[in-house]
Amino acid sequence: MSQKKLSISMNTMGTLTKRELASSLRGWGIYIAAFVSFLVSSWMLNNHLNTLKENTIIITSYPLETPLSWSVIIVSLYLVFISAISISREREQGTLEVLWYGPVSSFSYLLGKYFKDIILYLMVLVFFGVYFWVVSTITNLGFTIDLAKAFLVSIFVVSCFVSFGLFISSLATRVRSSVIWLVGILLAFLALWFANSILNLLPEESLSSSLIYLRGTLSLIFTLINWISPFSYLSRGMGSIPVGNNLIYTLNIVYSIIYSVILLSLSMFILKRKGVKA
Amino acid sequence: MKRTTFYLVICSIFLTIFASEGLSQAPLLREQLVYRWNAFNGKGYGGGFLPQSENTIYFMANRSNDISARKTLVYFWPITGKYMAGWKTINEEIEGTLEILKEGKIIKSLKKEDNVISYPGGYWGEEAIFYEGKEALAEHQKYKDALQAYYNALKEFYDAKMQYRKDLDQFFKEVKKRREAGEEGALDIEIPKEPKPPEGIQFYVTEPKKDYIVNLPLGRYQIRLRAKDNTIVEGSEKNIVTFTSRRTGGIGYQIVPGNKWTKQEPCNDPAKIIYGAGKNTLYFQPFIQDEYNELFYNKLQDPQNFARKEAWTWVHIKPIKDALLVFLKGNKVLSQVSYLPYLVKQIPGPELGYEVTDYDEEEAQGRKPTFEGHKLELLPQLTTAGYKVQLREKGKNIPMSASERKIRLVRKENSWLLYLISIFPLVIGAIIFIRRRKKIT
Repeated sequence: MSQKKLSISMNTMGTLTKRELASSLRGWGIYIAAFVSFLVSSWMLNNHLNTLKENTIIITSYPLETPLSWSVIIVSLYLVFISAISISREREQGTLEVLWYGPVSSFSYLLGKYFKDIILYLMVLVFFGVYFWVVSTITNLGFTIDLAKAFLVSIFVVSCFVSFGLFISSLATRVRSSVIWLVGILLAFLALWFANSILNLLPEESLSSSLIYLRGTLSLIFTLINWISPFSYLSRGMGSIPVGNNLIYTLNIVYSIIYSVILLSLSMFILKRKGVKA
Repeated sequence: MKRTTFYLVICSIFLTIFASEGLSQAPLLREQLVYRWNAFNGKGYGGGFLPQSENTIYFMANRSNDISARKTLVYFWPITGKYMAGWKTINEEIEGTLEILKEGKIIKSLKKEDNVISYPGGYWGEEAIFYEGKEALAEHQKYKDALQAYYNALKEFYDAKMQYRKDLDQFFKEVKKRREAGEEGALDIEIPKEPKPPEGIQFYVTEPKKDYIVNLPLGRYQIRLRAKDNTIVEGSEKNIVTFTSRRTGGIGYQIVPGNKWTKQEPCNDPAKIIYGAGKNTLYFQPFIQDEYNELFYNKLQDPQNFARKEAWTWVHIKPIKDALLVFLKGNKVLSQVSYLPYLVKQIPGPELGYEVTDYDEEEAQGRKPTFEGHKLELLPQLTTAGYKVQLREKGKNIPMSASERKIRLVRKENSWLLYLISIFPLVIGAIIFIRRRKKIT
């Protein structure tokens, strides 16, 4: 790509990001997602505090781990949903075709959408910061360095969710099929996890040969899903903090970046191949 | 897509049914060759066994461990999700030479040797020493001699006790007789002295047994059992991984809450904060601790355990009894607490609770202290943050390295405010919405 082309792409990407971001900020979706996530966190914290009675202690370096994890899950689900319908909606409405008459390429278009969602999450992260700081002041549960580390890793986790959503959206031609694909894939991940957990509970000698074969296959698929599902990145990323191993923490960030780059590249490729028409 | 999801759901339901059937079946017993051992775990010796489903034994480097190959019945126990050994049904020792290999070459061929484990502070004591060969037999003989001496002393005590009862009867008869004869005032009869029972043996030594003694430097090895006919016993080829601590000499705590003395909480990592609410009586038990890889350490305790290779765990090695626990707010010392014994007493009546009291040897009537520790009272009127505890050597003003832990008191009274602050993203959304509407109009 020549420097001039790159400059045009960057400008286009910047314009698209601004346009999409302004549109998202004027809507209610992100505020409602943040509100729901805080409501769930508050409910959890409130229950947790009510169980703390006299002569009960909690020993932890990261007391706000669970509420933050749930907040990230809720906001990620919102972001994966809006990114999963973003391309297919514009394709269905014909906006994508109109955009392609201008200096818009699949590169600038997808990165514009990706950065819009990431900036949106960074704004939510500011909300998180304010919320958890106030929580810490009200309850005296420490705003610790581990919480700050969780904030940082959550950006990369959300990047995985957004890339995953955009990938699904690039595959679908209609909003309805995007939603079905997304829900179907997430349910399939859940079902495989469930089946794998159950089969692993059983000793080999109590299983028939077909179930042993099924267990082996499921185990293999599950290993693969561990690198495909954005939820695995979330669980690994957030789980790396209490372990206290900086290498694992950094590796999880690197894996998330690689995952995002691969999915975004695949989405660009699919968008080019499928074209802009519904 | 819909169809795929539907099939997946159906498959999950079938799997659940199969699984529940599998779980409800009677356990299947299988005869297996297993390795059984007593391994050093950083503070003492613990037993373990390796079923055929596992391939690796984890030992601490440069420590002696006894191991033997046995034939037993193995069954799966769904409640714990682990294989168990039916030692009571079959426990057959398999003879042969244990070969240890490193990178395919035999580095050791072990014959069985006598070994014992000695507990200088008694079986429930904190120390365990492994003896092998002649030393093992000598140590056990020492224990047997002490036991014999104790039995002799006990026999003498019972004889003396019988004599004492006779003398006491004689004494009362004599008193009665002289009183009846009209004698008054103090009588010049010597009161018989009650004999004291002999003191029990403080140490304990296990029965000598013959096993292979494995003591290996850090590394990965293979083991196998060579039978007398020079063949390799089937199923005896396994791996041994030896490991050592990453950090040593840290200070960790076991914290005993006043009202739940059986539910103790470890506080080993200095980064961990102790959160409490309201009035708290806590008993701090400080320990010297070493840090081990979580996977290796958990597998040492039971090769079927799960753990994370990337995580590390602190293991309490030795209690610290001669230090002071200092409670501070900032740098101001609020109190200094000694390490003292405590007794747990059941509360009689319908309350069915218990209370922890200071240990008084006379009042305890032969009972030993239930636990020992530094008692720290946290009162509800304390402010919420800025507190810490640290350990100091007696007479010194410097905290012992890595002994400091922060204490925070949780505020519960305003927890309803948490719901209120959840609304603030909606408030920001509303402000943006109103501003935009104004701009448009």
